[in-house]
Amino acid sequence: MGALGGDGGGVLCDWIVAAAHSHGLGVQATQIPGVAQRTGATTYYLEVMPAAGPRASVLALNPAIGEVDVALATELLEAGRMIFNGFVTPDRTTLIASTHRVLAISERAAMGDGSFDVGRLLRAVQERSKAQILFDMDQAAEESGGVINAVLLGALAGSGRLPIPDTAFEAAIREGGKAVDTNLAAFAFGRGHARGELDQAVREHRKRQTAAQGVEDLIERARNSFPASSLDIVEEGIRRLRVYQDGKYAALYLDRLEGIDPLLVREVARHLAVRMSFEDVIRVAQAKTSRERLERVRTEVRAKLHEPLEITEHFKPGNEEIAAILPPAAARWLMARRKFNVSMHVRSTTIWGFARLRFLASLRWWRPHTYRYIEEQAEIERWLASIKAAQSLSPDLAREIAELARLVKGYGDTYARGLGNYRRISAEVIAPALAGKMVPRVAADAVANARVAALADPDGESLSRTLAAIAA
Amino acid sequence: MLDQPQVPVSQRTNPERSFKEEVRALRLGEGDVFRGEGILAVTKAILQAGVSYVGGYQGAPVSHLVDVLVESQDLLDELGVHLETCTNESSAAALLGASINYPIRGCVTWKSIVGTNVAADALSNLASPGVIGGALIVVGEDYGEGASVIQERTQAYALKSSVWLMDPRPALPTIVNCTEKAFELSEATNTPVMMELRIRACHVTGEFVAKDNKPPAISRNARLAQPALHNYDRISHPPSTYAHEKLKVDVRQPAAERFIVEHGLNEFFAGDRSDLGIIVQGGITNVLMRGLDRLEVEGRIPTLVLNVTHPLVGDQIADFCKGKRAVLIVEEGAPDYIEQAIHALLRKRDIGTKIYGKDVLPMAGEYTAEVVTEGLLKFLTLSANDIDLSGPRARFEAAKAGRAEAQKLLGGPLPLRPPGFCVGCPERPVFSAIKLLEREVGKVHISSDIGCHSFATLAPFNLGNSILGFGMSLAAAGAVAPVMQKRTISVMGDGGFWHNGLLSGVASSMFNRGDRVLVIMQNGYTSATGAQFIPNTSGNRRDGETTSDIAATLKAMGVKWLRTIRTYNVATMLGSLREAMNTKEPGLKVIVADGECQLARQRRVRPQIAAQLKRGERVVRTRYGVDDEVCTGDHSCIRLSGCPSLVVKPSPDPLRTDPVASVNNGCVGCGLCGEVADAAVLCPSFYKADIVQNATWWDRLVWRLRSTVIGALAHG
Repeated sequence: MGALGGDGGGVLCDWIVAAAHSHGLGVQATQIPGVAQRTGATTYYLEVMPAAGPRASVLALNPAIGEVDVALATELLEAGRMIFNGFVTPDRTTLIASTHRVLAISERAAMGDGSFDVGRLLRAVQERSKAQILFDMDQAAEESGGVINAVLLGALAGSGRLPIPDTAFEAAIREGGKAVDTNLAAFAFGRGHARGELDQAVREHRKRQTAAQGVEDLIERARNSFPASSLDIVEEGIRRLRVYQDGKYAALYLDRLEGIDPLLVREVARHLAVRMSFEDVIRVAQAKTSRERLERVRTEVRAKLHEPLEITEHFKPGNEEIAAILPPAAARWLMARRKFNVSMHVRSTTIWGFARLRFLASLRWWRPHTYRYIEEQAEIERWLASIKAAQSLSPDLAREIAELARLVKGYGDTYARGLGNYRRISAEVIAPALAGKMVPRVAADAVANARVAALADPDGESLSRTLAAIAA
Repeated sequence: MLDQPQVPVSQRTNPERSFKEEVRALRLGEGDVFRGEGILAVTKAILQAGVSYVGGYQGAPVSHLVDVLVESQDLLDELGVHLETCTNESSAAALLGASINYPIRGCVTWKSIVGTNVAADALSNLASPGVIGGALIVVGEDYGEGASVIQERTQAYALKSSVWLMDPRPALPTIVNCTEKAFELSEATNTPVMMELRIRACHVTGEFVAKDNKPPAISRNARLAQPALHNYDRISHPPSTYAHEKLKVDVRQPAAERFIVEHGLNEFFAGDRSDLGIIVQGGITNVLMRGLDRLEVEGRIPTLVLNVTHPLVGDQIADFCKGKRAVLIVEEGAPDYIEQAIHALLRKRDIGTKIYGKDVLPMAGEYTAEVVTEGLLKFLTLSANDIDLSGPRARFEAAKAGRAEAQKLLGGPLPLRPPGFCVGCPERPVFSAIKLLEREVGKVHISSDIGCHSFATLAPFNLGNSILGFGMSLAAAGAVAPVMQKRTISVMGDGGFWHNGLLSGVASSMFNRGDRVLVIMQNGYTSATGAQFIPNTSGNRRDGETTSDIAATLKAMGVKWLRTIRTYNVATMLGSLREAMNTKEPGLKVIVADGECQLARQRRVRPQIAAQLKRGERVVRTRYGVDDEVCTGDHSCIRLSGCPSLVVKPSPDPLRTDPVASVNNGCVGCGLCGEVADAAVLCPSFYKADIVQNATWWDRLVWRLRSTVIGALAHG
């Protein structure tokens, strides 16, 4: 059995032992509790005699590969780990696991999407076990108001793989004496799922569309100009930029998409909209003062309906952030000064705090005159020009150039680092490729490799190595 | 957390871990059936054996022995058992000195190998004069999967100090019997006895029939009127030591061998293949049996189970091997002390039995089911090719091939789950600050230590150049600092400080005019092992008086540059580190990074808050969040914090693919993520949310007013 610290694996283990015992079966359990409370993996191993009989058999303390009847996991990667270690086998093992993921630190710390391929995990789960009981036990625990270990116990009972009746498990929960009602509810939930009596509504991850008015003509224009497969993105881009700036800016967006290879429109449109709605102070203030935001926060922090809520924003603007909303000359002067940052904790649920943010958000009319806006537009034009130039050489190269925009994101140092990497790759790989100094197919791979390397570590070591290898 | 009150270190109390069930189990009487884990069975057994005193230093997997007794003060008072929660293993070993002069039984416990290393000096001085009261040392053999220390064997100490070593078969009745017999063995041979229990044995569940606890004849309830008469033979000083050495080999060891045989401590499992045999350490027996079962030869090969692995009984081994063609020795870990001894023993007696051991089993590493099965296959192939193993072998090979296939399917190693700091841990901000410091001054040599803070050597911090043992981080930088342009930083916990760091580190550094930086994590407990009391906790387990204050101790030792800082304030921490690194002032610079262990804090405040809510009192719940619209998915915040409640989720933005950061419901509102975003100038995504529960009419009024105005002002 594999679990994460905090999942209650030890208690689950005790329940099974107590249930087997009360049913007169020989049982032995042991565990490697791990060190950490929350992040470490913990493992448990139990042996239960198939029938009541004379005692004193020597039971083992370690699982053996190919000799495990039931494998339990409170999380999908931990199920994968048991498979990886050979304990789950298609001739014998029933795998009972939660399908939710709790990302390991290396997956979370990645600069982009570092999560392990769930498809691979699920395929291994299907192919390498004899039978499977899989559902999102984290969600089931939440829905039942209990903890995941009781859901897993229910699933084990429901699997019918142990010669122990449900009543013995339930008695074990009662005997444990803690949170009995919720644990019993979670147990029943788990059992219902395992027996197929309950269906789980898979929680869909919902993307949020921007709400914008007065964009009908632009959307009409997009529908006439771009392939249907790209329209969801293009339309979202229009709405986004309409709210971000104005209708003219949204029209500029469509202008810029003209001439893009139909096969590339979707990707370019996606990145272009993000680049055009770059994160300046005004945009942050817009996001923090939008109508839906307060409700979103309330849901996220689970504030109840009548509970007053106070939100404090963590801002630390410095010369770069201030310069970004000044005219170019003033901005350059300010950026040449010594670097400074001012810590500002704005209480955005007070009237004064909110009004200040709202004022910042209202500066959007001024945005086209700012230093940052002018810089960004120039950068975007260069990027679009290279995509268009690459289209005729190789669609793959053009796609990779478009995708490179992923590097430019964030604020402060993060933004500076990303932009720096982006420019480095543009100068050292894309420029020579467009000048015909590289085979386009090779260049496309090189850009992709450089992008992956730039996202591999924040110190830029991988990128330097990769660029050196490309140059060589 | 910065704006939440915390309890000063001098008032931090035991966070009420409850061992109620376990405490009850210790009171079982004659004929009752005890059910529970291995280490608790040992605890019960020592009370049944009539110990007068118990002591130890915590460490997995044996912490529970002392922890449970700490909560059993009533029982200990009734029996008259003295409990000493020692400040290190050396002190625990010295505690056994009581049994040198007085016929009283005592038991101490610690984690091995590290604890035995620390205890070694006292252990030698105990073993030399020997004991007249039974002395038992229960060591947690932290070896193999889940171990947290260097992989060495306790056996080495048993051999060199002539201390007997038990390695009982992991079944509760055997463990309990060995524990009780250990005291008798100790008294019959005037020698302390060690008993090693591996991690799985400490946690193995089982049952045994209990006996009544035995109040010791001499105890705190039945005190002696007079001290022992002066007897120089009992002192480990020359010339007594010369006599002791002879006694060990001439008298004590033969006595021990007789005792082992007479009391049947080692077990013999019969089998029909009298030409073969297996000799196994008691602790590995279960794995062996599983392997034999898998190869369908269980019950066929005679097996000698060594529940005592030192001394080996020459005659017993020789009798077992005589007449056999081949004997396999299953002995985990290196060096192969037992195998070497058996080779020598048989050679001297001209017994020609072929011995297999580390040639068919690996020299190093844990003996898992697979490793032992593999070894058994080799042994049986070489020594008994008449046994048909084709069926089991095919199944075993198929399982291995299946695993290779599964690994291919998964496509390479899975992400590891290294241990990390808990949600809201007060130690995390210190490492965030060190990361930020390194952005300014470049990489710094960091000398790490044992404790939760050693998790900083893992992702995402990856900070730390060496670990030299508990409380050793300052000493370990002694010769690094003089050759380094930048000062070194040593990190130590308050547990490590009292265990060893005060003398080995601080005193030595002061004495040698070391110019180094020391960060002491002061949370008030040894938390990684289960939040046991230490001298700077509020009192010990019995009263509320704080024994020793770290800052006062350092001042008294002459430390001039000393700062005590709330850890959560990353900017202040960074400022102090910067100053410590750059100041012209020579000598040791110490930052006491103070923050209550969050696990302890949560155990303390959760029931309080629940009670307040129930009474209808106003409670403000604080937690943090990330605006998913503002976050761009770079995850710098995660790399600088690693908080388990700072997770990633798919971006809600239809235009973005990189997952965004998110704070989950595990958040305890420590505020580090906001602090780091602030100190590192990361991004404006973080917000703090204060939710007013049981709001007053005033709260509601203000809220209604604010939401009306804000609702009118909001756009979109």
